[in-house]
Amino acid sequence: MHIPDGFLDPWICLMMYAITIIFWIFSFRKTKHILEDKHIPLMSTLTAMFFAAQMMNFPIIGGTTAHLLGGPIIGITLGPYAGLISMTVILLIQALFFGDGGLTTFGANVWNMGIIGVFIPYIICLAIVRIGKNTKSLLIGAFLGALIGDVLAAIFAGIELGISFLSFPYSIQIAVTAMATHHFFIGIGEGIITMIILSILIKNRPDLLELPKATPYWLGEFPKFLISKGGEK
Amino acid sequence: MKYEKLAIVGIIISIIFVIIGCTWLSLSAETFDEIAEKFGAKENLIWNPPLPDYEMPGFEGNLLINTIIGIIFTILTFIAAYGIGNLLKSKRVK
Repeated sequence: MHIPDGFLDPWICLMMYAITIIFWIFSFRKTKHILEDKHIPLMSTLTAMFFAAQMMNFPIIGGTTAHLLGGPIIGITLGPYAGLISMTVILLIQALFFGDGGLTTFGANVWNMGIIGVFIPYIICLAIVRIGKNTKSLLIGAFLGALIGDVLAAIFAGIELGISFLSFPYSIQIAVTAMATHHFFIGIGEGIITMIILSILIKNRPDLLELPKATPYWLGEFPKFLISKGGEK
Repeated sequence: MKYEKLAIVGIIISIIFVIIGCTWLSLSAETFDEIAEKFGAKENLIWNPPLPDYEMPGFEGNLLINTIIGIIFTILTFIAAYGIGNLLKSKRVK
């Protein structure tokens, strides 16, 4: 889903940078009030793990391949703001050193994978956990959040391409349909893997899921039930 | 201490991902690239990355070099995230 240089019109690149910069400012401000010593190894480990995980290309439909984005698990574990910082580090290294995603399109890529791909899974998972208040709801929320987050990120990428009339000679409908259809299957894989990782964490390190998270104040944090209930199994 | 152990386990898992990604699951035919190619979209690089497509120029297809590059950059990613985390934390402490 990394959009390379040349695929988006300049005004879209500028607009996406502007929106993304606002989120970066909020993320840095909010994260520095939350971040403690114990967060840093977790944040850096997850960032490195999903940089590495993105190197694994899984075969999917039609002879194409897909890789994990990692946004959902990073967002659910660290909170969306710290998750955005982690994803920004991954995307910046990929763009600068490997040409995986462009520099003019960096703002758009961060928006798609670092903001939509992190905030949406967090919000969906949080909503479902607040209803269920148990580990089952956490896993269901993680699956649905990852699936919907991936599809929405793909839809946004399709919209950005579709309205790039100068650079991308196909309509928004074609671009969005193609991206969303394929990424529905990627989203299912991302959802299953997010659930598996969360299950392992719930079983072995529930404390990591209950660390304070950097979140927008109006969203709030996950209800605490994992440690207090000894981690339901 | 338990968080340092977590970091070590995480880096080991990351290295396993890199090895799998550079050997068994190395074929990249991403949906996005396929769609872009089908629609005739053209890449227009403004920056020549030193390691295009995760490979060292002149050593394309060399699994060992690709794996080493993957491992080095995984560790660099860890260090970058660790540095940013510390920077944010130290600002708050001040």
